[in-house]
Amino acid sequence: MEAGAQASWIVPAAVFTPLLGGVVAGLSGAWPETRRRLVLAAASILTVVLAGSVLVRASSGATQSVRLVKMTPQVWIHLRVDRLGALYGMAAAVLWLLALVYSFGYMADEHRLGRYYAFFMLSLAWTVGVAYSGNLLTFLVFYELFSILTYPLVVHEQTPEALAAGTKYIVYILIGGSLVLLAIVYAYFLAGAQDIGSPLLDLGMGRGQLLVVFWCFIAGFGVKAALVPLHGWVPDAHPAAPAPFSAVLSGMMVATGSFGIMRVVYNVFGVGLVRELAVMKQVAALAAFTVVFAAVLAMHQDDIKRRLAYSTISQMGYVALGVALVDAQAATGAIVHVANHAFMKGALFFCAGLIIKRLGVRSVREMDGVAKRMPVTAAAFAATSLAMIGTPPLAGFVSKWYLGLGILDSGQVAYLGVLVGGALLAGVYLLPIVYRMYFNEPAPVVEGSPLAQAGAPEAPATMLAPLAAAVLLVVVLGLCTTPAWSPLQLAKAAAEGFFR
Amino acid sequence: MHGEAGTFVSLLPAAAVALPLASATAVPLLGRIRPTVRDAFVVAVVAADLAVVAAMVPQVAEHHRIVASVPAVVGGLAFAVDPFSLLFALFAAFVWFASTLYALDYLAHERHHDRYHVTNLVALASMLGVVTAADLVTLYLFFEALGLVAFLFVVHAQTDEAKKAGIKYFWMTVIGGFALFAGIMLTFYLGGHGELAPLPAGGPAALRWTAAALLVLGFGVKAGMQPVHVWLPDAHPVAPSPASALLSGVMIKAGAYGIFRTVTALFRPEVAEHLEERAWAFSEHLGLAVLWIGVFTMFTGVCMALLQSNAKRMLAYHSVSQMGFILAGIGAAGYLGAHGAMGIAGSLFHVLNHALFKACLFLGVGAVYLRTRSLDMYHLGGLWKRMPMTFAFMVVAAAGITGVPLFNGFVSKCIIHHAIVEAADLHHIASLGLAEKVYVVTCGGTACSFIKLIGLVFLGREKVETGPEVREASPRMLAAMGLLAAAIVVLGVRPQMVIRGIFEPGLHLWGLHPDILEEYLSEYFLSWGDISSVLVAFAIGATVFVIGMRTGLFHAHLPHWLSIDWWYQRAVRGLWCASGWVADGYAAYLRSISEALHDLQNWYERARVRIERAYRRAIALVTTGVADSEARRALARAELVLEVERQDEVRTAVDRTIRLLASAGVTDEAEWRDAIEAVRDSASYIAHRLFAVRLAAVQDAVRQGHAEAVLERIDGLVADAVSTRERIAAAAFAAASDRRAGRDVVRQLAAAANAAASEERFDLKVRAATRRRPVVADRLASQAETAPSHLAGRLGWASRARGGPAAATSWRCSRWMLDMLRLAADALTRERAGRVFDTSSSEESIVLTRQAITRYARDMSFNVAVIAVVLLVFVWSVVRW
Repeated sequence: MEAGAQASWIVPAAVFTPLLGGVVAGLSGAWPETRRRLVLAAASILTVVLAGSVLVRASSGATQSVRLVKMTPQVWIHLRVDRLGALYGMAAAVLWLLALVYSFGYMADEHRLGRYYAFFMLSLAWTVGVAYSGNLLTFLVFYELFSILTYPLVVHEQTPEALAAGTKYIVYILIGGSLVLLAIVYAYFLAGAQDIGSPLLDLGMGRGQLLVVFWCFIAGFGVKAALVPLHGWVPDAHPAAPAPFSAVLSGMMVATGSFGIMRVVYNVFGVGLVRELAVMKQVAALAAFTVVFAAVLAMHQDDIKRRLAYSTISQMGYVALGVALVDAQAATGAIVHVANHAFMKGALFFCAGLIIKRLGVRSVREMDGVAKRMPVTAAAFAATSLAMIGTPPLAGFVSKWYLGLGILDSGQVAYLGVLVGGALLAGVYLLPIVYRMYFNEPAPVVEGSPLAQAGAPEAPATMLAPLAAAVLLVVVLGLCTTPAWSPLQLAKAAAEGFFR
Repeated sequence: MHGEAGTFVSLLPAAAVALPLASATAVPLLGRIRPTVRDAFVVAVVAADLAVVAAMVPQVAEHHRIVASVPAVVGGLAFAVDPFSLLFALFAAFVWFASTLYALDYLAHERHHDRYHVTNLVALASMLGVVTAADLVTLYLFFEALGLVAFLFVVHAQTDEAKKAGIKYFWMTVIGGFALFAGIMLTFYLGGHGELAPLPAGGPAALRWTAAALLVLGFGVKAGMQPVHVWLPDAHPVAPSPASALLSGVMIKAGAYGIFRTVTALFRPEVAEHLEERAWAFSEHLGLAVLWIGVFTMFTGVCMALLQSNAKRMLAYHSVSQMGFILAGIGAAGYLGAHGAMGIAGSLFHVLNHALFKACLFLGVGAVYLRTRSLDMYHLGGLWKRMPMTFAFMVVAAAGITGVPLFNGFVSKCIIHHAIVEAADLHHIASLGLAEKVYVVTCGGTACSFIKLIGLVFLGREKVETGPEVREASPRMLAAMGLLAAAIVVLGVRPQMVIRGIFEPGLHLWGLHPDILEEYLSEYFLSWGDISSVLVAFAIGATVFVIGMRTGLFHAHLPHWLSIDWWYQRAVRGLWCASGWVADGYAAYLRSISEALHDLQNWYERARVRIERAYRRAIALVTTGVADSEARRALARAELVLEVERQDEVRTAVDRTIRLLASAGVTDEAEWRDAIEAVRDSASYIAHRLFAVRLAAVQDAVRQGHAEAVLERIDGLVADAVSTRERIAAAAFAAASDRRAGRDVVRQLAAAANAAASEERFDLKVRAATRRRPVVADRLASQAETAPSHLAGRLGWASRARGGPAAATSWRCSRWMLDMLRLAADALTRERAGRVFDTSSSEESIVLTRQAITRYARDMSFNVAVIAVVLLVFVWSVVRW
C-alpha cells in the first residue's frame, strides 16, 4: 500500500451493500411488494451515502485503499479509490437510486420482479466495484461479472426481440470481454502485479508488445463504450430492455467502457507512454467518426429508444475523443461528461419509458401533442434535450466547453467542427421530438390503447419524482461547478493528477 | 485598457438581469389569480427594471465602468457596464417598457397570455445579460437564452405559418449559436481569456480569420445580416406586434452588439499599441469585410422591402436593411481603426434610433392590424381620419427612419455617411466610393418604402368598406407609441445628449479621439450639405414610388433561384437526403452482414450434413461392406423388413403361448408371467438366429449386384416366410418348458433355429428371386455365418486375376481386415441392440427408431474408439520422446 492511502471500511461497504441488496431481492420472491421496496430503497440510499462519503474523502485528495482477498501471494482483490473512481462510483450510485425508484412504478405490473431487482442491485455492486478497483485483476473480475450478469436484465421482457437483442449483447460483450482479459493477462505478464496508481507499463517493455496490449484494451473496452464499428449491440439492447434499465445501461454501463479506456490511458499506460507510442491519433479519429456517424444514424431512427441509444453512442464518442486528445482540459471534459451524460440520458430514458408506458407510443411520429397529455414529462424531455445539445447553463454545456478547450489546447482544431457538428446533430435528432410534443395537435385517443385505459395520462408522482430529480441534477451540474465535490472540480483534479 | 478605468463593483447590472428573471416565475401564479393583477405586475417589473438600468447612468458617468459577478457556470457570470453597454441596456429597457404596455391591450385577442409575459420577462433578462456581459461565456449564455426564448415569441400564434417561421428561426439560431460557440472557443485558442478585450496579436492568420468569421456569423444570424437573414422576414411578421417590435427593435441588436464588440473590442490592438505600424492591419481588413457585408445587406434589404405588400413583412425587410446601415458603420469603424470614432458613434446611434422608430412602426402597424384585421397595404387606405394619433406617431417614426432632419434617423444616417466617406478618403479606394453611392440609393429606397407605407395605409381613400370597429387605438397603446415617438423627436433635436453623454466618454475610455464628433456637431449637424443629401434621397424615393406604382414594379416576383432562402432549403434538403443515404447504406450494410451470417450458417449446416452423410456411408461401408447407395438402400430395406418379421415371429410365439395357457386354464399370475417370459426368450433367440441367416443371404445377393432385384422382391420373400412363424412358436414353446424345468436349452434352441433355416432355405429363395446362381456364391451362401475368410479369399482370387501379386496381397490383407472389423462391429452392435431393445412391437416406425438409436450408439462407440486410438498414439509418442 503506497504512502498516503488510508484504509477505510466504507469502500468495501459501498460495494457490498448493493450486493447484499441484490441477494435479498433474489430471495424476496414471495415478499409483499412494500417490504421489498423498502429494503431495496434502503440499500440503494445507503449505497449513495457510502459512495458520497467516499467521494467527499476523495475530493480532499486522499486515496482510500482496502485489500480484500488474497488470490496468490502477489495478487489481491484490492479496492482503491482515487478521484476518478469516486466520481464514477457516486454517479452510478445516484443514477441507480433514481432508476430503482422509477422501477417501483414502472415495473409494478411486470413479471419476475425478484429476478429483475436482484440483478439490478447486483449490477450496481459490480459497477461500484469496477469504479473502486485497485488493480487490474479486481477490475477484470468486476467488469466481467458486470458484463455477463446484466444479460437477464436485457432480456427481462423475454419477447423474441428481447431475446435476439440479448444474444447480440452477450456475443458482443463476451468478445469484448475476452479481449480485455487477453490484454490484462498480457499487462500482468509485462508489468507484474501492481496497483492502479502510477502507470504500470513503460517503454522498456517493447514497443510491439505494448501496441498489442493497447489495441486489445481499446478494442475490448471499445465494444462496451460503443465505439463505431463495435457498437452493434447498443441500438438493439436499449429498445428491448425495460426503461429503467435502459437508463442505467445508457447512462453508466456504456460509460464503463469509456471508464475502462480512461484507466488504460491514464493508469495502465500513462499519458507519457501513450504520447510516446503515438496511438491516440487513430483513437481520436475513430471517436470523432463515432460522434458524427452515430448522430447521423440517430436522425433517421423512428423508435424513440433506438434514437436515444444512437445518441448514447454519439455522446460516448465525445468521451472517447476527450480521452484521445491526451490533454488535461479534454480529459476534464471527458470525465465530467460521463457524469453529466449519465443523468441527461437517464432523464431522457425515463421520459421515453413514461411515454411508452402511459401513451403506448414509441414511434417519434406518434409523439404529437404529448405535452398536452403529459406536461411534466414533456418539459423534462425538452430541458434535457437542450442540455444534451450543450445549451448553457445546463450540464451538457460544461462538458462540451471543456472538451472544446481541450481540443484547442491539444492543437487539433479540426475536432472543434466535430464537437460543434455533433452537438448540432444532437439538436437535429432530439428537438423535432420536443417540437412535436409541444406544437402538434395530439392524435385522437385510440380505443383500447393504454391511454384510453389509464384515464389521466400523466405518470404518477413516484415515477415523476426520479425524473424530476434527474432533471434537477442536470441543472445543478451545470450551475454548481465550483465546490470541491462537484464533478467538474473532481474531474479537474483527477485530470491534473494524470497529467502531472 | 479597462484596468485604470477603475473597477467599481455594483449590484445593479446583476439586479437588472435577475429582477425580470425572478419575476417571471410569479407570472403564471398571478395569471391564475387575476389577469389584471398579472398585467400590472408585468408592467411594474419592466418599469422597475428600466429604473434599475437608469440608476446605472450616474454610476457609469462617475466610474466609467461598473462590474458585478455571480459565481455560477464555468467560472461564474461576470457583468460589466461601460457607456456602450449602458446605451444598449437603456434603449432595450425603454423599448421593452413601451412594448409591454402596448401588449396588454393588443394581446386581448390572442391566447397564451401567461406564456407571452413569461417569455417577455425572460427575454428582457437575457437581452440585458447579453449587453452587460463582461466576458464571452456570460455573453454566450445569455445570447443563447435570448435566441431560444424568442422562439416562443415567433410561434406565439401557433398558426402553420408561425410554426414554419419558428422552425426556420430556431434552426438558424441554433446554427448561429454553434458558430458563436466555436468562435468563442477559437478566441481562447488565440490567447484570449474570454474577456471583451483585444486579443493578443499574432497567432496563425487563418485561425484569426476563422475566429472572426465565426463570431460575425454567429452574431450576424441574430442581427439579420445577409446572407443569414432568411429567418427574419418570416419570423418578425408572424409574431404578435409588440413582440415584433421587440424582435426587430431590440433583440436583433444583440447580434449588432456582438459584431460591434467583435470588431471594435476583440480584433483591435491594445491602446498601448495604437500607434504601432500594422497594429490595425487585421482590424482594417475585418472592418472592410463587415462594411461590404453591411452595404450589401442594406441594399438587398431595401430592394426586397419594396416588393412586399404585407406591411409587417416590409418592416421586417427594413430591419434587415437598417442592420446593413449599422454593420456598414461598424465596418467603417474597424476600417478606420484609430480614427473610427465616427463609425462607432454612427452605428451605435443608429442602433438606438432604429430601436425606437422600428418599434414604433411595428406598434403602429399592429394597431392598424388590430382594428382592420389586415396587413396588406394595397387593401388599406384613408386611416388617418379614423386613427389620427396612430397616424401621427407613424409619421414621426417614418420621418425617423427616412432621415428627415430634426428626427433621430437623420443624425445617425449622416454620421454613418460621413464615416463611409471618410473611409473612402482614407486610402482612396474607388470601390468605397461606390459603397457611398449605394448608401444614398438605399436611403432613397427607404424613403420610397415609407412614402408607400404612409401613403397607401393612412392617406388616400378607404379601399374597403369598414365599420365602426376601425377606430383609434386604446390609450395604453397610444401611450406606448407616444413614448417612442417623443424619444425620436427628442433625439433628433438634441443628439448632443447621446453623443456627449455616451459616446465621448466611451471612446475616451478606448483611447480614441472623440474630437471629430464635436466637429460634426458644430460643423455638419443640420448643415445644408447633409440636408441636401436627404433631399436627394427623397427625390429618388418619390421617383421610384411613382414609377413603381405606375408600372406594377412593386408586384414583381423575383425568380426563386435569386433567393438565398431557396438555396438554403435545397442545401438542407440535400443534406437530409445525404444523411438518409448514409443511414440507408448503413442499414443495407447491416442487412448484408446478417445475410452473410445466415449464408455462413446455411453453409455450415450443409457442410455438416454432408460430412455426416459421408461419415455414415463410411460406417456403413465398414459394417456392411457395401458402398453403392442402391445396395445400401436394399440392405437397409431388407434389414427393416426382416426385423419386422423377427418381431412378428416372437409375437406369434407369445400369442400362441397365451392361447395355450388360456385353454389349459392356468390362473396363477406368476405362472403366466414365467411362461410368457420363457417363451419370449426362446423365440427371440431362434428368431434372431434366423434373422441373421436371412440377412446374410440378402447381403450376399446384394454383394453380387442384385440390389435392384432384392429391393423389389424382399417384401414378397419375407411374406412367403410366414409359415416359419408357427414352427418357431412350437420350438420356442417346447424349449420354454425345458428352460422352466431348469435345463440348458441353448443347444436345443440353436438346433431349432438351424432346422428352421434349413427348412426354409431363404438363401435359395433369394437366389431364385434374383435368378442368378453363381457357383461360388451358392456354396458360400449356405455357410453365410462363417463366410468372411472364404469371401475374402474369393475376392482376393478375383483381384489376383486382375492385378499383380504384390498389389493383390495388400489388397487381400486390407480387405480381410476390413471384413473382420465389419463383422466384429456387426456382431457386437446387432447382438446388443437385439438384447437391449427387444420388445414385442413390430411397428415399422418403432423399428426404424430403434435402428436410429442403434446407429447412434454405434457412432458414439466409433468416436470413443477414435479418441482412444488418438490417445494411445499420443501416449506412445510421449513415451517414446
